[in-house]
Amino acid sequence: MASAEQSPVTLQHHNLCSRVILLARKIRSDVASLLESYVERQGLDRTISLDSVDGVPVAAMEQGGELTMAEQLGANLQAYRAFQALLGEVLEEQRSHLTPLDTDFHASIQAVLLQVAALAYQLEELLALLGHSRPAWEAAGPEDPARRSLFEMKLRGLKVLQELAHWTVRSVRDLRQVAKQPGLSARGG
Amino acid sequence: PENLKCITHDLNRMICSWDATSSANLGLTYKICYTNSEHFSLVCIETEGKRADIPVTVGSTNIRITTLNASGTSLATETFVLSEENVSLIPLTPQILNLSADFSTYTLYLKWNDSGSVFQYELDASWQIQILRKETLETVALMNYDSKLTGKDSILSWNWTSDIPLECTSYYVKIRCYINEPYFTGRKEWSEWSPIRTVPEKDTKPNSAMVFPQDKVVLVGSNVTFCCLYNEGESIKFMNYGSKSYPLLRLNKWSSAIKVQNVSASISSGTNVWCLLEPDGLEGTVLFVGYAPDTPQNLNCETRTFITITCSWNPGRATALYRQRQTKYILFERISKENVTCKVDELNKEHYCDFPVHANQKIYNFTLGASNPLGQAESSLLIDVNQRVHLETPVKFTVSTNSSTNAHLSWYIPGNFIQIRLLCQIEISNSNSERQLNVSMAGAENSNYRAWVDALHPYATYTFRVRCSASEHFWRWSKWSEEKKLTTLE
Repeated sequence: MASAEQSPVTLQHHNLCSRVILLARKIRSDVASLLESYVERQGLDRTISLDSVDGVPVAAMEQGGELTMAEQLGANLQAYRAFQALLGEVLEEQRSHLTPLDTDFHASIQAVLLQVAALAYQLEELLALLGHSRPAWEAAGPEDPARRSLFEMKLRGLKVLQELAHWTVRSVRDLRQVAKQPGLSARGG
Repeated sequence: PENLKCITHDLNRMICSWDATSSANLGLTYKICYTNSEHFSLVCIETEGKRADIPVTVGSTNIRITTLNASGTSLATETFVLSEENVSLIPLTPQILNLSADFSTYTLYLKWNDSGSVFQYELDASWQIQILRKETLETVALMNYDSKLTGKDSILSWNWTSDIPLECTSYYVKIRCYINEPYFTGRKEWSEWSPIRTVPEKDTKPNSAMVFPQDKVVLVGSNVTFCCLYNEGESIKFMNYGSKSYPLLRLNKWSSAIKVQNVSASISSGTNVWCLLEPDGLEGTVLFVGYAPDTPQNLNCETRTFITITCSWNPGRATALYRQRQTKYILFERISKENVTCKVDELNKEHYCDFPVHANQKIYNFTLGASNPLGQAESSLLIDVNQRVHLETPVKFTVSTNSSTNAHLSWYIPGNFIQIRLLCQIEISNSNSERQLNVSMAGAENSNYRAWVDALHPYATYTFRVRCSASEHFWRWSKWSEEKKLTTLE
C-alpha cells in the first residue's frame, strides 16, 4: 500500500525540485526575450555559426551518456556556476565596449544573472538535501577581455545566452526525473 | 672592337663598353688610349674585360681601342670619336634605407638616400616610387616625386596610404631616379629600379584567420574595404557587411576583400563584418561609423561660488560613437595656460566642466576642445568672472518677528563673494498683495545674510522668499529660496 504520508525530506525534496523547475522555466523565458534584444543590439544574425566560440558549457549530452541523478544535478550545478561567471563577463563587455549607454539592456542581463545564481544555489541545496556532495568549483579566472576582439565578444555573448537557454530546457527535464525518484532516503539512491 | 657605349653615373667618370668581333675571347686584353682633356696628354690603360672606366670629357674625344693577344701582339685597333651626345647619364641605382608600415592608418613610410654627394653641385632629380601587390605583381601605385640634389647626401622620405588595410596583402616597393642635368647634352635615362623591399617584412601567411581592419572607426559616408585572411587549405564562402553579402575580390591565395560604399551610422555596438570559411570557421570584426564632434554649442561659463567656474555646453549632433570612441572635451584657459580634462556623462544632453577660479584673475579666455577618433572642433568664450556670477539657491532661509510691523530674514549662500556686493530680492506676499524688495549688501564667504522688512500689517500672515545676484554686474538671479510663512504680532 503506498504510503499516503510523505516524509518531511521527500516533501522538501519535491518542493525544492518544483522551485528549481519553476526558476529554470522563468530563466528560459527571460533568456528568450533577452536573446531577441541581444541579437538586435549586436547587429547579429540569429543563425550565425557559433562553432568557433568555446568555453561555454554545452547542454547537449553525448549520445548514450546516461548519468546518475547525482551526476545530473552536479552537471547542472557546474553549468549554472559557469554561466554566472560568463554572464558577468558579457555584462561587463556590454557596459564597457559594446552598448555603454543601454542601461536597461544591462539591467535585463543582470536580472538573468541573479536568477542563474539563485538556481545554482537551489541546486546546491537539493544536492545537499539528497545527501550528495557538491562538486568542487573552480571558477576559471576571467579571460582577459582585451584579448578578444569586439566581434568575438558579440559572438561569445550570443553563445552564452543560447546555451543557457538550452540548459534551462535540460534542467527542467533532469529535475523532473529527479522529482520522480520516490521515497529516496535522505542518503543518495 | 665595335659598338662602343659609354654611360656616366656622376658626370665625372664614365664606363665605356664595347663588343669584340673576334670569336676567340680567351687571353685577349684591350688597350684603351684617350686624350686627357685637362693636360691634353695621351692616357692609355689596359683591361681584360670589354669595359673601361675613364673620365668624362667636355666636348668630344678620340678613344682608340686595341685588341692584344696573350703575347701582346695587336690584333685589331679601332678609334672612336666620342662626344657628350653619345654618353648616357644614368644615375646610380638608389637604395631604400627603410620601409615601415603604420597598420592603423594603412600608411607605408619610405626612406632613401639621394646620393647627392655624387654630384658637386645642385641638380634637379625626379624619383619614381612603385608599389605592387606582392602575389599578383599588380601595380597599385606609381608616384613621381621631385627633389633637389644639394651636393651632399640627403635622406628623402615619402609615404603612401593604401585604401585597403596593409594586413590584407604584402606589398613590393621599389624606386628609381632620373637626373635632369640641363647642360648635359647626352641622353638622360632613369636609373635601374632599386632592389625590391617587402612590407610587412616577412611573408604574411596568416597564422590565424582574421578580418581587417579590426574594430575601426570611420566617418559616415566612407567607402571601406575589408579583407578576410584565412589559412592554407581554407577557402571563403562569403563575406557580409551587416546582414548583406558583398562580391568577393581575390587579393591572394589567402586573402579576399569586399568593398562597401557610403557606409551609414552604426548601432552603438558597431556594424559586424564577417566571413564564413570552408570547411568551417567564422571570422569577423566590427566597424564603428559615426561623425566627428560637432562644434560645442551654447558654451556658457559662470561661477556659482567664486571657487570654480562651471562651463556648460550642448554637444550638438550626436556622433554615434561611445565609450572609448566617445568625444573627449578639454577646457583650456589661454591666460593661465591651464587646461582641464572634462568628465562628461554620455547619457546627459547637457555637459559641464569645472575650472578653478584663480586669485587675482578676472578675465578668463576659454577654449573648449572636442575630439574623437574622427576629428575635432572647438568653441571659445572670453568672460570677466565678476560679470558671470550666478549664485546658488539661498538655503537655511528663516523669518522671524518680534513686532507687529517688522520681520527679520536670514539665509545662507555658499561661496566666496568677499570681492563683490550682492543684490537680493525679497518677495513678500499675502492673500491680497505681493511686493518685491531689493536689498544690496556686502558679499561674504560661506556666510549667512540678513535683512529686515517693515511696513507690515499687524496680525497678518505673509509668505516670504528670497533670491540673490551680483549687484554690480547683474548676470542671473539665483533660484528662489523655499517659501517661509510668518504671522505678525497683534
